[in-house]
Amino acid sequence: MLSIAGLSKRHPHAPRPVFSGLGLSVATGEIVALTGESGVGKSTLLNCIAGLEPADAGTIMVGREATDILRLDEAERAALRARSIGFVFQAFHVLPTLSVAQNIAVPLLLSGVAAHDHAARIEALLARVGLAGFGPRWPASLSGGELQRVAIARALVHGPTLILADEPTGNLDPRTADEVLALLLERVREEGASALIVTHSQHVAQCCDRILTLTPDGLE
Amino acid sequence: MSSLTWRLSWWLIRAQFMTRRTATALSMLAIALGVSLGYAIHLINDAALADFSQAMKSVQGEPDAVLAPRDSSGHVPLALVDALARDEAVALAVPVIETRVRLDNTATTVRLIGLDAFSAALLMPNLMPRQGGADGGTTSIFEDGVYASPALLARLNTKVGAPQGLPSVAGITATRGEARWTTPIRGDLPAVRDDELLLVADIAWVQAHFGPREGVGEVRLRLAPGVSPAAWIATWSARLPPGLGLRAADDNLARMSNVSRAYRVNLNVLAMVALLTGAFLVFATQLTAVAQRSTQFALLGVLGLPPRMRLAQVLVEGLAIGIPGAAAGLGLGYGLAVLFTRLLGGDLGGGFFAASSPVVVPELAPAAVFFVAGCGASLMGALYPAWLNRIQPLAPALKAGFAQQAPSTLSASRHAKRIALALVALAAVALTRLPAIDDLPLAGYTAIALVLVLGIAAAPAATRLVFGGLERLRLSAPLRIAVQNILQAPLMAQVAASGLIVSFALTVSMVTMVSSFRTALDQWLDDVLPAPMYMRSKGVPLPADMLAELERPQSPFVRVERMATVMLTLDPRRPPVALLVRELDRADPAARLPFTGAVLAAPPGRITAWISEPLQELHGLVPGQTLHLPLLGREVEVFVGGVWRDYARQFGAVVIAAADYRALGGSVAATDLALWPRPGQEDAAGRWMRAQAKHHGIEGVGSGEIRELSLSIFDKSFAVTYALEAAAMLIGLFGLAVTLAASVWLRARELATLSALGFDRAMLGRAIVFEGALIAVIGLALGLACGVAVGAILTHVVNPQAFHWRMPLQVPWAQVLLGAALTLFAGMGASRFAARQATRLPAAQVLASAQ
Repeated sequence: MLSIAGLSKRHPHAPRPVFSGLGLSVATGEIVALTGESGVGKSTLLNCIAGLEPADAGTIMVGREATDILRLDEAERAALRARSIGFVFQAFHVLPTLSVAQNIAVPLLLSGVAAHDHAARIEALLARVGLAGFGPRWPASLSGGELQRVAIARALVHGPTLILADEPTGNLDPRTADEVLALLLERVREEGASALIVTHSQHVAQCCDRILTLTPDGLE
Repeated sequence: MSSLTWRLSWWLIRAQFMTRRTATALSMLAIALGVSLGYAIHLINDAALADFSQAMKSVQGEPDAVLAPRDSSGHVPLALVDALARDEAVALAVPVIETRVRLDNTATTVRLIGLDAFSAALLMPNLMPRQGGADGGTTSIFEDGVYASPALLARLNTKVGAPQGLPSVAGITATRGEARWTTPIRGDLPAVRDDELLLVADIAWVQAHFGPREGVGEVRLRLAPGVSPAAWIATWSARLPPGLGLRAADDNLARMSNVSRAYRVNLNVLAMVALLTGAFLVFATQLTAVAQRSTQFALLGVLGLPPRMRLAQVLVEGLAIGIPGAAAGLGLGYGLAVLFTRLLGGDLGGGFFAASSPVVVPELAPAAVFFVAGCGASLMGALYPAWLNRIQPLAPALKAGFAQQAPSTLSASRHAKRIALALVALAAVALTRLPAIDDLPLAGYTAIALVLVLGIAAAPAATRLVFGGLERLRLSAPLRIAVQNILQAPLMAQVAASGLIVSFALTVSMVTMVSSFRTALDQWLDDVLPAPMYMRSKGVPLPADMLAELERPQSPFVRVERMATVMLTLDPRRPPVALLVRELDRADPAARLPFTGAVLAAPPGRITAWISEPLQELHGLVPGQTLHLPLLGREVEVFVGGVWRDYARQFGAVVIAAADYRALGGSVAATDLALWPRPGQEDAAGRWMRAQAKHHGIEGVGSGEIRELSLSIFDKSFAVTYALEAAAMLIGLFGLAVTLAASVWLRARELATLSALGFDRAMLGRAIVFEGALIAVIGLALGLACGVAVGAILTHVVNPQAFHWRMPLQVPWAQVLLGAALTLFAGMGASRFAARQATRLPAAQVLASAQ
């Protein structure tokens, strides 16, 4: 789950705040689309939720224990991300020097999931994202759609309670985008996680349970 | 780190090594070279010292103390030997006469040791003879005759007792100056080391033939149980006449270790430079690796890799370079030490252990120290990149890659930087004014390090100063891109330049130091070799019959100058000082000695001595002062009349006129001759000299040969510096190429955009090559300035403090500027490597991935 209250953020030297007194709640198992014009602060909000950027005021409660990520220090924020949040990016961000299986194993290693469990869990997840047998392959040999499937598997492998996705289909052709989106939503629902998906695509937004639009005046 | 994160760490290390094989291997190699050089120096010196100690114990035994004259021509009076023997604290007093003699049977000089058989058997069992050789039994009763070491018997091509096909020598004739002793070889010395050329005889026979008549050469003492050697030595030292000195036997080893210490430290500094070079390579490799993987590290950070792990990962990668590098360095160092000692013995080039052939024994503790040093250097190189990796903001790095500017809160203001630089410069200057610490130029070395730090730190300001003005000029597009890039990407430009700054500074400083030294040596050889021919007999007076021939009217020489050498112990902790007794004009010593300053005339009735520069450095003497010399069994006050340059005797020399020495009661037993042939008789003089030299086993050469030989030895000694300079420059150029390539990689999008805007491949290539050239210009200019400064510190601070030699600074500008031009050319060549990468980037793909 995710619960935001009274969130304010202003970039240094900026004439006005990115957002002020923002509130948002994503229930367990709910998938929310976040839309808005370019530069309105969608990515900044996502960064604040992930603890990658500080906020000036407010609370952001994340995870099963509803921990306020803004009150944690850098190391605690990293630990919370490792434990409770999964990420999917527009640019895939699959580590090119690690194999597909190793890429997916990274969150397991960081969240401390017992090693004997890794292979089976990764193989099962690869099968569920349509990449059975892809474990030993290198990212350079995969297509964009396949890379994003790897990223989805990586985002879900450690059983996070919240998935943050930033334009997950932005770099894919329409057919592959549809496949990947369907897969993402299906897997998120299957895992019982919450998700906040930043998108410019109305099609993607309409596939979600709820649509929020970020404007200079706040969330609508 | 948990086992899980270790696994992730290992994956990243493996990936890093697989994708950057050349840079990683070169970094490991540089660490290995630094460790191997330092470890080999340690092993060789340790082995040489152990060998020296063993040789010393084999001949000297293991006494608690030794009483000896402070003047090598002196003696210990017999009455004092008796007094020592009666002292209840003395368990054993062994009188010894040790001298060097020339053997007629072979053109060589050997040590002749006269012993008292009864007492020596207890202290120096290794010198006990075996009568009649292998067939005889050990004896302690000496008859008229000598006993020879196995090496000497082999040299004489004989055996004693059982000839078995080898010719037998009925006897030998030993000569020293006018003294001659013809005597049979009675037996051998089975326990003496294989490499010792040694004769042993009863002390009475040696005394009868070679003196000293009134005493013995030295007394080796074993103290009674429970007596403290230090306290006993202190008590007796106060009662001794000024010409004698008591020392603990261990002092010899400590003194030998001290003799070679400065030389070793200098070699170790070279090893440290090699290690620092390795650290720089690790730095360049890891910095570019961090820059290139900034997006990956940012992703790992987003996924939950804690900040300290991002720091630790780069440090662990540095260690992963350092550990195999240091381990390989230990193996390489051991191999190098074994090879070196087998080929060249135990002498590291300073001439301190020239005769030793030691066995190298690896030990755990020093190996561990050098291993840790190698790993430490590697870790040091990784520290800054690790810190940069730690502080990279995750979200921007994930989006746009590596940020070259440190966060504003951490970057100091320009004003603060200027103050810091000025303070570093002041500290460097202040350090050059400090004296040696424990006889080592540690402050000088620190000043050198500060100069290099200053050079690197000044790079951004120098870049702005030199190229800032170019921005306003009309420039070609590639040149403008190059100028703007080095002005706006200061970190990469600074890293690329820093390699060149350090390597070119080291090269310029070495070239400057070597050139200064060689020019000074050349000039000095002119001054100290006025005669066309020279003869020398090391340690033994020249044969009396040969000297008599020179006195004859038909001698082919118009002028002969004699010199005798006596060794004086001024300070028991330091090596002896050479007293050179020379036939020179007391009113005009400058005709023979290369003085460095004013020559003072002594007050009436006083004896003048002219001291060498090293003696002045070591004892802090100035002309006009009084020097107390332990001479001829007493303390003689001499007036210091001037300081002369001497590159031959590192631990000091004093010259006094032969007439003064004779007036003090000394006899001049010449060991060196300077010969001026009669005009027209040069060939005859040369033939006479060569025949005498061959017959007596002494040196006889022309001044030209001495000069040629000296300069050739000098060039060989410093040949290794040229290899180091070449290696330093290659590493500097490698650093330039690697950082430029990384910089190109980081600017892939910018270059792709330029390409899309109409820059063709040639223009892009030119922009990168210009950039490399501009960085090289800054690197070389700062390297030149730092190099001249470091050269001046080496010449005026390190050399006088470590080796007690002074010389004028001589910067070989033509050589240095040619080197700079070649390096600039090579730097542009190295930049082409980066340029090729830039032009190979598929612009469309890069731009597409940047959406």
